[in-house]
Amino acid sequence: MITAGVDIGSTSSKVVVLEDGKKILSKVIIPVGAGSSGPARAFEQSIREVNLSREDIKRVIATGYGRTHFPGADQQITEITCHARGVYELLPGVRTIIDIGGQDAKAIRVGQGGIVSNFIMNDKCAAGTGRFLEVMSRILEINIEDLADLAALAENPASISNTCTVFAESEVISQLSGGTSREDVAAGIVNSVVGRVAGLVKRLGVQSEVVMTGGVCLNWMIIRMMEKELAIPVMASPMAQLTGALGAALFAFESAR
Amino acid sequence: MPEKLTSRNLLNQLQTRHYTNAYTAKMKGQLVGWATSIFPQEFCETMDLTVVYPENHAAAVAAKRGALPLLEQAESEGYSVDLCSYARINLAYMKSQAAEVPIPLPDFILCCNNICNTLIKWYENIATELNIPMILIDVPFNHGYEPTPAAIDYIKSEFEECIRQLETITGRQFNFERFQEVMKLSNENSRAWKRALDLNQAVPAPLNGFELFNYMSQMVCARGRKETGELFKLLIEELEEKISLGKSCYEDGEKCRVMWDGIACWPHIKHNYKALAKSGINIVCSSYPEAWVLLYEPGNMDELARVYSMIGNNTCMEYQADRREGEVRNFKLDGILFHVNRSCKVMAFMQYEQQRLVAARTGVSIMNFDGDQADPRNFAAAQFETRLEALMEIVSQNKSAKKSKEVMNNDPA
Amino acid sequence: MTQLKELLSTLEHVAKHPAQVINKCLEDKRLMIGCTPEYCPEEIVYAAGMLPVGLWGGATSIRNANQYFPAFACSLVQTTLELGMRGVYDQLAGVIIPAHCDHLKCFGQDWKVAVPQVRFIPLAHPINRKLEAAVEYLKSEYSRIKSVLEEIGGKPISHQDLSEAIEVYNLHRKTLREFTLIARDYCTTITPSVRHNVIKSGYFMDKLEHTQLVNSLIGELKKAPPEEWKGQKVVLTGIMAEPKEILDMFEEYGLAVAADDLAQESRQFRTDVPEGKDPLERLARHWSCMEGCSLLYDPQKNRRFMLKTMAEESRADGVVACIMKFCEMEEFDYPIYKKTLEEAEIPLLYLELDLATPSLEQVRTRIQSFAEMISLKP
Repeated sequence: MITAGVDIGSTSSKVVVLEDGKKILSKVIIPVGAGSSGPARAFEQSIREVNLSREDIKRVIATGYGRTHFPGADQQITEITCHARGVYELLPGVRTIIDIGGQDAKAIRVGQGGIVSNFIMNDKCAAGTGRFLEVMSRILEINIEDLADLAALAENPASISNTCTVFAESEVISQLSGGTSREDVAAGIVNSVVGRVAGLVKRLGVQSEVVMTGGVCLNWMIIRMMEKELAIPVMASPMAQLTGALGAALFAFESAR
Repeated sequence: MPEKLTSRNLLNQLQTRHYTNAYTAKMKGQLVGWATSIFPQEFCETMDLTVVYPENHAAAVAAKRGALPLLEQAESEGYSVDLCSYARINLAYMKSQAAEVPIPLPDFILCCNNICNTLIKWYENIATELNIPMILIDVPFNHGYEPTPAAIDYIKSEFEECIRQLETITGRQFNFERFQEVMKLSNENSRAWKRALDLNQAVPAPLNGFELFNYMSQMVCARGRKETGELFKLLIEELEEKISLGKSCYEDGEKCRVMWDGIACWPHIKHNYKALAKSGINIVCSSYPEAWVLLYEPGNMDELARVYSMIGNNTCMEYQADRREGEVRNFKLDGILFHVNRSCKVMAFMQYEQQRLVAARTGVSIMNFDGDQADPRNFAAAQFETRLEALMEIVSQNKSAKKSKEVMNNDPA
Repeated sequence: MTQLKELLSTLEHVAKHPAQVINKCLEDKRLMIGCTPEYCPEEIVYAAGMLPVGLWGGATSIRNANQYFPAFACSLVQTTLELGMRGVYDQLAGVIIPAHCDHLKCFGQDWKVAVPQVRFIPLAHPINRKLEAAVEYLKSEYSRIKSVLEEIGGKPISHQDLSEAIEVYNLHRKTLREFTLIARDYCTTITPSVRHNVIKSGYFMDKLEHTQLVNSLIGELKKAPPEEWKGQKVVLTGIMAEPKEILDMFEEYGLAVAADDLAQESRQFRTDVPEGKDPLERLARHWSCMEGCSLLYDPQKNRRFMLKTMAEESRADGVVACIMKFCEMEEFDYPIYKKTLEEAEIPLLYLELDLATPSLEQVRTRIQSFAEMISLKP
């Protein structure tokens, strides 16, 4: 039986197509998300790659920020539940998941059988989210992907203390105009996001093993800094931003069976 | 020859002693209390109790740049980042005792909501978490200009209850003769404090406003003590000497006389001080230190109830505007700098209308900035500096407009 | 069955379109007095022959109220002031604003200036409410409000008027308590938003009439056997469960309301006005009898135990903390009851709500994830 999971984030669309709940047939990431043509394109591409049509897919589950607006889905499950399921499949020993998304940061406690036993999301303010990193990268005139590499070169990481994005923006600008190096400012930005998200994790309670999912976990420096902040080893999910889509495809298989 | 003791040195000595004494008392097994900063200290002073003030402590922690780890700790325990930063610092400190200047944990707590109702929730949490007695003196919000007779009766009855509770906690009798002395001393100190504050009405002002925030600590922590009177005697002498010499606290004089409205922005106080000095703006007064001027006829319980009820934050729109108007005139202010303090809801939520009222009545220039009393994250230096520049521009425009008006009025033709 | 549907649609209509009820009141020449959160002595208003109308903000964006409030005031006071400034409440003969918290203290003072056309009737409750002197003091506050209402209405309010009003209100309280108990057995018919509307409609109706309608509703519900419920049940705690979309989300994800600990709902009617001779004193003493609200002085935080018991007795699968953004009163209580519920292994969801800028998608994710979590719970 073939099932699919479609994870529609605010900045990217991810699809995993699964055979019998075990074998991954295809996986696609398109860097545009909810509200764009991204989800439909990603889904089409994922089934075309393996010469399938929509009819061949027994069940499709949508997850992520844009899950309620994907017409091709049989069911919607939140990214929180799906990340836990996906992680449980890949790393069954994990008890704590950290997911930094474009809009929301989340800390998830995984209980028995990959079931969520508690979770916490950031408050409304954008600090501690991917969006914050994006705004700050723009000020530094770099791509968000290059932020960590730049930060790695820092000698004296700057302190960016503001929680409000608007204030932090002016703080970054005044640091730069005051002569602080771009590297030090970049490190300050990354530090600030890690600090905010680590706060969420602490509120949930840090329990080993800890994993990070989502696009941000490709960023080795953020992982290292999170380890330092939480004083515990932090892994990256082997499927990174596809973890949620994998969880959705697994749920699709289990519910169709 | 030993160097002459300055009031500044004495203040530092007294403050250090205040905290070490509290610790020593705790070590000796004596009871220690925590109290809100404008609690009627007359009662605990009469009982000779050791009391420390979490608001004062949180401000000190923030000024020494130690706030952030405690704030983050509180947030990780589930306290919203929107809550008062003094409360977050203190509730975290209560659990971790992680601060450069330590204070002993309390055996009882004393709460008066004449500053805000946030204090009640904060203290409820202390009482619950440490399972200790809490004494509350509630002063109902004065929606009229003054407390009603019924409110006075209610507060007086709370005073009696407070005495009864203190007797239970300490196992000692309340001594009414000593109470009378404490009230007398507290009034003397309040009068001296007021005298010191008022000396800054001189042009140029002898004292920088940020110093007021420092001296204020002594009024918070030891309003009913003899040494406080000695401190202010010294301070007044120094100020009078400066005035007689016509000396400003700034070397190149004060260009602009401003009131700081609200609590200091403790984590950034050095920055604020420098930015103001750079612009030649002198903070000559503030609504904040004024709150500890508490004058009443010793022994008159109605007046005691009234004075503790009439703290600025606990009064209506008209009363607050009248107070500010008086300050603008007495201190010959050019402007008011309003701290839109994210922590302090009760001050911030009437500020905008206060600004309109006071500006309309006096023509004083108004500027506000976003900040926080103890959370360093809610302040932007760039915004503050820009606002100061803008204030200076408005003040100088207003001044030249006034001058040209005067010239016109004096024109004999 | 049709009668049941009619009753529900009547109540829902009132809850959603208070203006129509208010227009009818105007036609009848009955004066109306606004009562803002959380606790107003509505009985005095009722005894004056006027209609107390609940003002609990509304889903609207802020265009005017920011002349008075910076962004960090709770949206309950922000939106109520906004609506007042837009003239929405101009038909009211006055508005009672208590000073329970710092937001409300300032709100009253700001109202006086921002909405001068609607008379401000202030009220400051005593917080040290277990003292006998507090009852005396509150009685004096109520007595002042009574005089103001007598002046507005142009006629005196007698002891008998007050005693009768207390009876009407106590009966209303009893009826709503009965409704909330029975509602838990009919979760398919009484969805979260239906339940909310049944209670909320009481803020815009004569309590006598509302009592009758809710009584009929209870009678109609009882005609059918209790409904089987396959979803989960939760207890709601906090000030209020609005904006209204969130209750639809509860329904969408299979969550029913087992019981509530909301200031807008059960906290208003779980305690009766006590017996006694002097009606104003009875009303004042009511304040000393109530328990379990973030606005009621509670140095031992007994609220946490009440909440735990409520969740257990109503057999709820979890508790949802409906936290009005910037509401310090609730935000301070949260870490305390969080610990108690965690120790009892009762799942708890923190839902941050805002009437003016609701960010519903994030709320949706939280509600859905919580529903998934408790339904998958072994």
